Amino acid sequence: MKTLVVLSGIFMACFAYSQTADEIVANYLENIGGAENWKKVTSQKMQASVNVQGMKLPVVMVSFANGKSYSSFTLQGKTMVQQVFDGEKGYEMNFMTQKMEEIDAESVENLKRNKDDFPLPFLDYKEKGYTVEKLEDETVEGVDCFKIKFISGKKLNEGKEIDDVTYYYFDKENFIPIVVETTISMGPMAGKTAQTVFSDYDEVDGLYFPFSIKEKLKDGEGQGQTVTMEKIEINVEEDPALFDFTEYEKK
Amino acid sequence: MKKLFLLLGIFSLSGAFTQDFLNSLSAQELFGSIEARHIGPALMSGRVSDIEGHPTDKNTIYIGTAGGGVWKSTDGGVMFSSIFDKYCQSIGTVKVDPNDPDRVVWVGTGETWTRNSTSIGDGIYKSEDGGSNWKKMGLEKSERISNIIINPKNSDELFVGVLGALWGDSEERGIYHTVDGGQTWKKIFYVNEKTGCSDLIVDPNDFNTMYASFWEFRRTAWSFSSGGNNSALYKTTDGGKTWNKIHTGFPEGKLGRIGVALAPSDSKIVYAVVESEKEENKGLYRSEDGGANWKHLNNDFDLTVRPFYFSRIVVDPKDPNVIVKAGLSGAISKDGGKTFKGLGFMHSDIHDIWFDIVDSDRMLVATDGGLYRSLNKCVTMERVENLPLSQYYHISMDNEEPYNIYGGLQDNGSWIGPSSSSAGIEARDWLSVGMGDGFRVFPHPTNSNIVYSEMQGAENVWRYNQETRQLKIVKPYPEDVDQKLRFNWNAALSTSIHFPDRLYLGSQFLHVSDDMGETWRIISPDLTTNDVAKLNQENSGGLSKDNSGAENHCTIFTVAESPLDKNVIWVGTDDGNIQVTKDGGKTWENVTAGFGGKLAPKNTWVYHIEADKFNKGTAWAVLDGHTRNDGKTYLIKTTDFGKTWELKVDSSVVGFARSFEQDNFNENLLFLGTELGLYVSINGGKSWLKFENNMPSVAIHYMEMHPKKHDLVMGTHGRGVIILDDISPIRQLLALDAKTDGINKELTFIPTPKYFMSDKSDFGNTSTETQFVGANPSEDARIIYFLKKRHTFGKMSMEIRDMNDQLVTTLGPEKKKGLNIVNWNYSMIAPKVAKGKTFDFGGFISPRVMAGKYKVVITKGKNEYQTEIEVAYPENSVFTAEDRKMQFETTMEIYNLSEDLAYLVHQMDYYLDLADGYLENKNYKKAVLPMVNKINALKKTLVITTGDNYVGAAEPQLREKISDLMSSVAGYFGRPGKNQLENLAGLKEAYSKADKDFKVILMKEVAKFVDFTQKDDPKKKFEAIQSKAEFLKK
Repeated sequence: MKTLVVLSGIFMACFAYSQTADEIVANYLENIGGAENWKKVTSQKMQASVNVQGMKLPVVMVSFANGKSYSSFTLQGKTMVQQVFDGEKGYEMNFMTQKMEEIDAESVENLKRNKDDFPLPFLDYKEKGYTVEKLEDETVEGVDCFKIKFISGKKLNEGKEIDDVTYYYFDKENFIPIVVETTISMGPMAGKTAQTVFSDYDEVDGLYFPFSIKEKLKDGEGQGQTVTMEKIEINVEEDPALFDFTEYEKK
Repeated sequence: MKKLFLLLGIFSLSGAFTQDFLNSLSAQELFGSIEARHIGPALMSGRVSDIEGHPTDKNTIYIGTAGGGVWKSTDGGVMFSSIFDKYCQSIGTVKVDPNDPDRVVWVGTGETWTRNSTSIGDGIYKSEDGGSNWKKMGLEKSERISNIIINPKNSDELFVGVLGALWGDSEERGIYHTVDGGQTWKKIFYVNEKTGCSDLIVDPNDFNTMYASFWEFRRTAWSFSSGGNNSALYKTTDGGKTWNKIHTGFPEGKLGRIGVALAPSDSKIVYAVVESEKEENKGLYRSEDGGANWKHLNNDFDLTVRPFYFSRIVVDPKDPNVIVKAGLSGAISKDGGKTFKGLGFMHSDIHDIWFDIVDSDRMLVATDGGLYRSLNKCVTMERVENLPLSQYYHISMDNEEPYNIYGGLQDNGSWIGPSSSSAGIEARDWLSVGMGDGFRVFPHPTNSNIVYSEMQGAENVWRYNQETRQLKIVKPYPEDVDQKLRFNWNAALSTSIHFPDRLYLGSQFLHVSDDMGETWRIISPDLTTNDVAKLNQENSGGLSKDNSGAENHCTIFTVAESPLDKNVIWVGTDDGNIQVTKDGGKTWENVTAGFGGKLAPKNTWVYHIEADKFNKGTAWAVLDGHTRNDGKTYLIKTTDFGKTWELKVDSSVVGFARSFEQDNFNENLLFLGTELGLYVSINGGKSWLKFENNMPSVAIHYMEMHPKKHDLVMGTHGRGVIILDDISPIRQLLALDAKTDGINKELTFIPTPKYFMSDKSDFGNTSTETQFVGANPSEDARIIYFLKKRHTFGKMSMEIRDMNDQLVTTLGPEKKKGLNIVNWNYSMIAPKVAKGKTFDFGGFISPRVMAGKYKVVITKGKNEYQTEIEVAYPENSVFTAEDRKMQFETTMEIYNLSEDLAYLVHQMDYYLDLADGYLENKNYKKAVLPMVNKINALKKTLVITTGDNYVGAAEPQLREKISDLMSSVAGYFGRPGKNQLENLAGLKEAYSKADKDFKVILMKEVAKFVDFTQKDDPKKKFEAIQSKAEFLKK
């Protein structure tokens, strides 16, 4: 019943007042299960599939509060580690040799800097030195949204320190983020906007997760790539074997 | 979760829909997934007006363009991204804040190179995130912003030079100052309503010292005037409080446009290019004392040519004696301005130059034909090939498959290009069919080998046969030597709807040819106002004569035949007349009185007339008042052959309009192109919505709907050709609404036509990654539905099933509030492939379905929605039905063979995994190993068990052989080859043998192994092996 009460309260509030960025984030955290509950999350494991026109590609993504993360995929019955990071060091699979190769220093540094973002970058964002700013309202996916500019510290971009900026679009009716945007900062696509579209929110142990996540370019042809969650678990045990890099370190 | 659903349910109940439901939709809901497609071209690019570097990062560069917005490069000018799509695309200046150069960027809109076709700005904008998001910061009526100066110690303090209105008096000119980051502006220096600030620079060593040039200038539709007593160069040394003329050494008399620059490495050295009354003292002046005294150095051609277009001078940041002057070709001096030589070869008309802050040999140059790079101080030049800034004046289309787009561009000739090509539309796909400035280009209506094109002022009208490569000039000549024909710069050439060999061309008269331009006759009197006061182009230009034809006036500008009656022809003129004939030109009626001075001021340019597609007496006219300093939007309609007219736009439409198109099927579905983008009305012009899905706020000079493809094709003046592919879903939505009293359902499918699966293949394109490639239209089937509310909570999935409800594939549904389109590329789910050590690349192939009907099933929460779509083979295909049947059946045989093998290997792996559990068992060797050896020996003939995915690949086994055949057979839609069929038979045999061999192993070694496990531990239970059906479940 609590969710209902909270939500209906918000609906009224949103017609009555314009919201500040802080209030929007607070409402969002409350509506997806409450900041206190999210803080109890020590790990999350997502089993998902990516649909590549006709081919379902199962993927598993696990991340931990201590910064460790692991992802794997299954192709033609074969399960392979895609990326693994133990908080200090990381490896990625080379598709040609199917061997793990160490991730470049700058990417590892950025992974390290993202440790604090688990499980949600917005948890205690002020304490983390992150900032929110409300921009002009916009309509995305046909829905009136609050737009928040979120700076979660700095990241390295080809050796240069730049703001780690994400734009969140929160549905005004329920404060749920439905679209997130970032500006691509590297490579031939630099300057273009990448969009992540969230839907199919569902509950896992009292917390709400988007079970459908689509990645696409904002202005451009093509329908993008959708990741569909099949199962999300929280507070799973850490398998130390996953983070044993001895095998990878053999050259 | 339940609670959330409940709650959402309550909210969606509110508001029952009425017939007016569609009229209440927002643009995003109505247009939903329909996205504009940009095809360029970029091979001729378009005018770049300004280049701005980053003060400390040599690789970050911004360019402002004449009509294509702002683009940013972060790699030193190799790749560029458009970053200003939502806003006015005509750019005067871009400025990076030196205090926070990674984040803060300002854009002053309104190009300042004031040619006849230049557009108009709408204020100043600021970004605080390096160009991702923008906010308008005022100066809305400034029209043209020449420069922005930011205090290097205080981001909130700016000075802005405003050139202002080109086509009329305006008090919003001069120098503006803000101390609160643009919240409020104060005009601190102003000359008069005719004179604006054309250049404003600051001393990098002293923010209080600035130089400002002021220019008295004016354009009308029929004249241009540069210069006057109020043009001057000023200097302030007290931060803009007082400004003093600095003319010691300058020519006497009236001055024109002045460009000014100082040497960053020695800011006492200042250069000015001055337009003056006398040829001998025009050109370059140099001061070595901060402008106190000037010395005339040079009046070479490129230093004096067309000051309104080229008044820019840039000094090398490292060397005060290296200066570059914009111009027809541009010129560089290395001796402080004494002598100049031309810049390296590039497109003519140079507007701005940028020097690398670290290595000033590395330069960028802005031209009418895009941006150029040089690594050797502009000796040799390389064009940036990914800037689709092409500035179309007009477009037309043919009926080929795929259809082609014809059109002419500002200073870039005339071109034909396809709407679709092998792997995107590349530079090599475009064909040049005209020189000079290009305007209206048409294919012959029944033979598109023949192309008509023209250049400025109809100086040439060409007929070109693409097949025989015969080129003939077919322009009409005066009927006697004294007759003077007046053609507009953008002369009204067109073909006919009713007579294939007919051409129309408007001067002050309407000319007609019925033999493809061989013979012309005049079928009208002078249809213009023939106002002698507007016919004095020879003396146009002001201090520098400028009679290019761009100011020709009192001419016919638009000609529209009624599609319903060959004798009804409408003519619109640039001086405000609309005339109509109902008898093929025998008699003409001037119907101007019905709107001129009533709905729009008298003499407002009639830019486009569209004869209605449904009613003979009905016509639409787009009037453009911008050359009279009137920026309002005018779309007028008559239903009585012009007796009375009605205005069909309201204030929701922004920007003066030039183009209009009525849908071919729904008379109330209208498209209006303004200077600031595309507007759509679904109710005959009662209300308008701006279309913004991948559609920049760009000036649309002409648009046309393709009669077969239902694509809205737009010729934009700055972003090339932009296409809305197949707008029929909007039509369907309107039809559905009218029929069913609104679409009052959670989800409503929109009917779709039959989709044709293409049989074409090719090897891709030849472009490199730094070249622009226009997107192709999708050839997929489209599943279209309208969602009353966005799907955010709970599951939503989509399946394609055959008519027996068997799953064909799953698709990711779109979930927007409003119109959703999901593409299906006709493929089914790829077969399961046997597991090996490496990947089987042929195993990633998803076969294409057979033609026929398919079910679409959307599951949304607890509700299921179904519709059907039909897919078909293309008409006129080279393949017979029998070919196709054989191809499909063979493909499916291979598909099933692949899956049979996958299951066989799965069973083997099952027992090998079990065996692994006994590695430590003392009887392993005796009781387990024989099975393992037998299975492995068989398995290694079936799948690859060693090697990698690249050059370390192992020998292919049965799996790889099956997949190899799959990729050969599934990718070609005709009959498989004889060898392919024989190969399949061999593979099937090999599989059968393996299957038999495995059965033998099952009976012998596996049975023994199982026995052993039971004896070893009678309580031991293994997880059962998956059944084949379970294993193959998709």
